[in-house]
Amino acid sequence: MVSYLARTLVQLAITLVGIVTVVFFLMRAIPGDPALYMLGDFATEASVEALRARLGLDLPVYQQYLLFMQRALTGDLGQSVVTGQPALREILSALPWSLSLAVTGLMIAVALGVPLGILSAIRQGTWVDVTIMLVALIGISFPVFWVGLVAILLLSHQAGLFPALGAATGGGFFTQIHHLMLPALVLGLSVAAYIARLTRSAMLEVLGQDYIRVARAMGVRENRIFFRLALRNAFIPILAVIGVTFAWALGNAILVEVVFSRPGLGSTVLKAILARDYQLVQAGVLVLATGIVLVNLTLDILYGVIDPRMRTGS
Amino acid sequence: MTVEAHGTNGAETLLQISGLTKVFGGKGWLPGARRPSVHAVDNVNLNIKRGETLGIVGETGSGKSTLGRLVLRLLDPTKGRIAFEGLDITGISGGRMRQLRSDMQMVFQDPYGSLDPRMKVGAIVAEPMHVHGTEHSSIASRTADILHRVGLAPAMADRYPHEFSGGQRQRIGIARAIALDPKLLILDEPVSALDVSVQAQILNLLRDIQRQSGVAYMFIAHELAVVRHISDRIAVMYLGRIVELAHRDRLYAAPRHPYTASLLSAVPIPDLKAERQRKRIALHGEIGSATALPSGCRFHPRCFKARLVAEKGGVATSTLPSGLALPARCIDTDPTLVESASGDHVACHFPLEPDDTAT
Repeated sequence: MVSYLARTLVQLAITLVGIVTVVFFLMRAIPGDPALYMLGDFATEASVEALRARLGLDLPVYQQYLLFMQRALTGDLGQSVVTGQPALREILSALPWSLSLAVTGLMIAVALGVPLGILSAIRQGTWVDVTIMLVALIGISFPVFWVGLVAILLLSHQAGLFPALGAATGGGFFTQIHHLMLPALVLGLSVAAYIARLTRSAMLEVLGQDYIRVARAMGVRENRIFFRLALRNAFIPILAVIGVTFAWALGNAILVEVVFSRPGLGSTVLKAILARDYQLVQAGVLVLATGIVLVNLTLDILYGVIDPRMRTGS
Repeated sequence: MTVEAHGTNGAETLLQISGLTKVFGGKGWLPGARRPSVHAVDNVNLNIKRGETLGIVGETGSGKSTLGRLVLRLLDPTKGRIAFEGLDITGISGGRMRQLRSDMQMVFQDPYGSLDPRMKVGAIVAEPMHVHGTEHSSIASRTADILHRVGLAPAMADRYPHEFSGGQRQRIGIARAIALDPKLLILDEPVSALDVSVQAQILNLLRDIQRQSGVAYMFIAHELAVVRHISDRIAVMYLGRIVELAHRDRLYAAPRHPYTASLLSAVPIPDLKAERQRKRIALHGEIGSATALPSGCRFHPRCFKARLVAEKGGVATSTLPSGLALPARCIDTDPTLVESASGDHVACHFPLEPDDTAT
């Protein structure tokens, strides 16, 4: 287990260096001179040169890369061009809004998707299964922003159950929760459909295994077969799916944030792109990528806990 | 129980199967729609005595695995009766059946798929004891004892299945199956997935277990070579039917059904000279489709004996669409399983005579 952990951590370090590298070169690959963008059309030659020197853009690329890497590792991702605040702080202040949305959405998705997937697998081929899978297919097929708009129309505008827009940034805890519920539900439903389908197929695969047949022949009760034997083994692929959907949920959270006019990583990065605030975009992408890597790291460790085959590294 | 013991009082019937039929499909997903139906097992009759080993041999698709699963009620039969120790188990409730399950267990072909990867070996072997309410305090010592009996160190109980080789895994599967001292073990191709050298070890292990405990085996295999050394009697299946059921020695020495003879000719002889000299009986074509069964005897499209009989003349023949002439009885009439004077059974209109086998 210790060597498994050590291996996973080394992989994490390598991945992070890789992310920083890719982000650096992607930003350099964008055509145009950042200094020129920042100062606008009426900048003088001298002021552009001065800014280039200040940003280190006059150095050879490899030196810029090393400098960027060094700063990134110490947590310095430059300043937002628009606000002058450290870019990392700007991003981190937006992060809780996105994270709360993504996590709540994912919790709703797991709470709905996993039981529905299991039910569908147990009742395979019956109308229960067909109905659940049909609804899930519809859920996957509708884009999340459309579902968001419909939800605002029906549940906020018509029924008046939830506030339509905003996140009550200044409000109390319960007001904020109230504002979070509708966007989280919209996000959760789209992810739930995905999780339900994959849970079903993971369960069906395990249920077709010989050791399930052995358990039946042995006289193990059906409930125990489904929930102890099958679910425990199906949980490994289900967990993998939840990990992947977390990244997906963060991505969809950006769309949901825009639809619901919520603050968050998505709206911050979107604004930064429109303002050509490249330091901020860079910091946003880095934080997002690091977050996804950390989620996957957590999952890798969890695999080791639940699946004995992973621990020996075979 | 010793060998002598189950030789003398072994006449008692443990399992009695009569008219057993299993049809798959036939009912469509939509009302009114019909899918082709498959008679996987078709009107099978057989008995297994206490402590006996009955080999069941057939090609893929002959229904032999389905038969094993029907006996364990992993599948419900379409028709027929299965009596275990005189009790009809086809209609009994889930609860009663669960109690009976401690008396019949199963070993599967795939030693990788049949063990739960998330359970330690000790827990796998102890599982049936937990299910059937063995006293908790004695489970650990019994687990160690059973592991020892199948040739595994009791210390291995703490490991996971993936740490074992195929042969060791099959030993674990056998340990689990004998944990409750069953009276009947269904062995569904238990050595087909193993190396030849390991096959022999497992077969010897199974024989030793039988000598010690007097358990009866229903040993399912797809070739005759494997069942030879372990079986008392052998049933040969073809497309859901038993075509020949005979004592092991007589079946190997003088097969009466043409299908048995052709299966036997496919078994290599470990003697180069004899191997080169003998004639092989090539089967014509593949095993037929169970959805579109041939008329009359289901083996007739592939039968060499039918061709010989037709060539020799003296019987009424019919001509198939392919232009081949076969005895009319083979094409028109489904042969029933007939008992001979020796107590063996064969379902053939023109069974082989001893001097026929050289063909």
